[in-house]
Amino acid sequence: MSAIASGFVHPTVGFYALALALPFLPGKAWKWLLLIPPIVAIWSVMTIEPGLYGQASWLGQTLLFGRVDKLSLIFAQVFAIMSLIGMVYALHVEDKLQHIMACVYVGGAFGCTFAGDFLTLFVFWELMSIGSTFLIWLARNERSTRAGFRYFLYHTIGGLFLLIGLLMRYKAVGNFEFDHVIPAQMQVYDWMILLGFCVNAAVVPLHAWLPDAYPEGTVTGSVFMCAFTTKTAVYVLLRGFHGVEALAVAGTIMCVYGVLYACIENNARRILSYHIVSQVGYMVAGIGIGTAMTMNGAVAHAYAHILYKGLLFMGTGCLLYAAGTTKLNELGGLVHRLPWVMVLYMVAALSISGMPLFNGFISKTMTITGAAEAHRTWLAIGMEIAAVGTFLSVGIKLPYFAFWAKPANDKIELRPIPANMYCAMAMGAALCIAQGLYPDMLYRYLPFEMEEMYRPWTTWHVLQALLLLGFSGLAFYITREIITPHAKTNLDFDFFYRLIGRGALALVSKPLAWIDDRWTEAYRAVGLRGLLTLARGTVWFDTKGIDTVVDGSAYTVQNVGVLGAKAQTGRLQEYLGLAAALGIGIFALVWYLA
Amino acid sequence: MSLFGMLLNWLRSKTCLLAVLFFLGLAGLVVANVFVRPHEAEYVFDVYPGFWAVFGLIGGLAMVIVMKKIVQPMISRGDDYYERNS
Repeated sequence: MSAIASGFVHPTVGFYALALALPFLPGKAWKWLLLIPPIVAIWSVMTIEPGLYGQASWLGQTLLFGRVDKLSLIFAQVFAIMSLIGMVYALHVEDKLQHIMACVYVGGAFGCTFAGDFLTLFVFWELMSIGSTFLIWLARNERSTRAGFRYFLYHTIGGLFLLIGLLMRYKAVGNFEFDHVIPAQMQVYDWMILLGFCVNAAVVPLHAWLPDAYPEGTVTGSVFMCAFTTKTAVYVLLRGFHGVEALAVAGTIMCVYGVLYACIENNARRILSYHIVSQVGYMVAGIGIGTAMTMNGAVAHAYAHILYKGLLFMGTGCLLYAAGTTKLNELGGLVHRLPWVMVLYMVAALSISGMPLFNGFISKTMTITGAAEAHRTWLAIGMEIAAVGTFLSVGIKLPYFAFWAKPANDKIELRPIPANMYCAMAMGAALCIAQGLYPDMLYRYLPFEMEEMYRPWTTWHVLQALLLLGFSGLAFYITREIITPHAKTNLDFDFFYRLIGRGALALVSKPLAWIDDRWTEAYRAVGLRGLLTLARGTVWFDTKGIDTVVDGSAYTVQNVGVLGAKAQTGRLQEYLGLAAALGIGIFALVWYLA
Repeated sequence: MSLFGMLLNWLRSKTCLLAVLFFLGLAGLVVANVFVRPHEAEYVFDVYPGFWAVFGLIGGLAMVIVMKKIVQPMISRGDDYYERNS
């Protein structure tokens, strides 16, 4: 390992310092402090030179907190920008605990990004899990409480896979170093670690926690969550497991699976959640294919995705904040009352759809073109199908039924949306458009060397995107009566997770409870009686044995004391007589013995 | 209601006009596709003009119809299904 440099302000430090300080800060001015850690983080990742920073020893292990290279920097950069946008969006929230947990969560994401070894990674991985669970619970309603427990349970299991994998790996290779694994030489422990990562990346069929939990988070918490958990997983997959064929296939399945479910969903935030599965699918597929172009595509798409997905969740968060629901069948006809929310949402919706002028166009097409150039035609076709579905659901269905469908709705009461929420959305929208127009803003940070940089802005690429999206729009126009959302629960793989949960509950409440009952009976019949007999014996022993000995010695000491007191007469002649008698006695004894 | 909100509301009353403009735009794209082709086909079929138009249309129609008409009736339950069964 090369030399350890110094001078790196680890972004996690700022977030954790704020999390520790917040409970003690009085008044209301503390809310401005929320902006400090993100600004420090942006400054830090923009100015730091690549290298190894912050090494520590703990229990005989070497921990590396700051592996700074092009790959970790580009992820950290977008995390920092998103944390600033997220904090601006959350500025009006007075519940300090929400901010504290957001800091724990975001700080964890930075920790994972810069971690150079599995131990450090694992600790921050779990801190993220705790922080995000609270961001769900803090919505403070029954649904979110239940969803939070399911989320935490699921991520704990995912974390355990990671832990098992890294311990097995330690046993086999003797260190915790976190580096790329050659796909052909993967061992069982590598697969366990990969499985742990895949849980967080929401790889189908391990994905169902995501559309279950994210719609239940707080308005501002879900904005953070949609950005960090899956993208941290994408980062570690990219670092450790690029070129693993299983990921190429799994990623493409994710792309299509997510859009299919989004197509029939009613809850706006759940539609977006399924589209996280789908969009992360592009990244996972790019990682699996493993060429420089698809991996750069994965990184670029992660970057763009964080910005537009955050913006999408901010837009739907505004709906939830203002109208109190994100169920599309209860919304509609709101465009004239929330025009700017609609416009800002549409910037993100067109970005995710890959429309030219927006950042999805410069990132998504890179992965797809990369897949086609690597002769993975079927994978590329799967991604194109997903692009059609994305525009259908997020680009048209969601905004159409939330804002346009139904006559103008003046009856529903809308809570005024704070200016900071608009401000954060405008920041996100500006970046989505800027990157779409100037791809080099993003491309210059891409970590993998390519022979020739991908050029998205060609006449053909633009025309192809417009044809694909335009005619997807026509498909929506034709089927708009069919695609109308209905208030339904669509069963997903979480149905099976819940079955397992219910099975465990049944095992505890039926057979184990029966055994417990029988045991209680047996104990009452045999054990209790035995215990009573034993108690009686103890009492007897106590009175007859202990008391006799202890009390007896006490009485003896008392009697000796009384005798001693009597002997102490205070008359000198008696003491002298006694001493003389004692002296003669000792003399006689010595004389006799000698 | 803001001026911008009123403008958007006015647009709602012009759906026919917007639809016609949309169709004209689509027709224009297909015509453009006759002249603008990929330099080298990334897929076998995308050298033919209109391939991506057909792909988007058929893909979109198939997805909506299959998912809403066939899959959803099989996998959907009441809105409070999990609340009642947990």
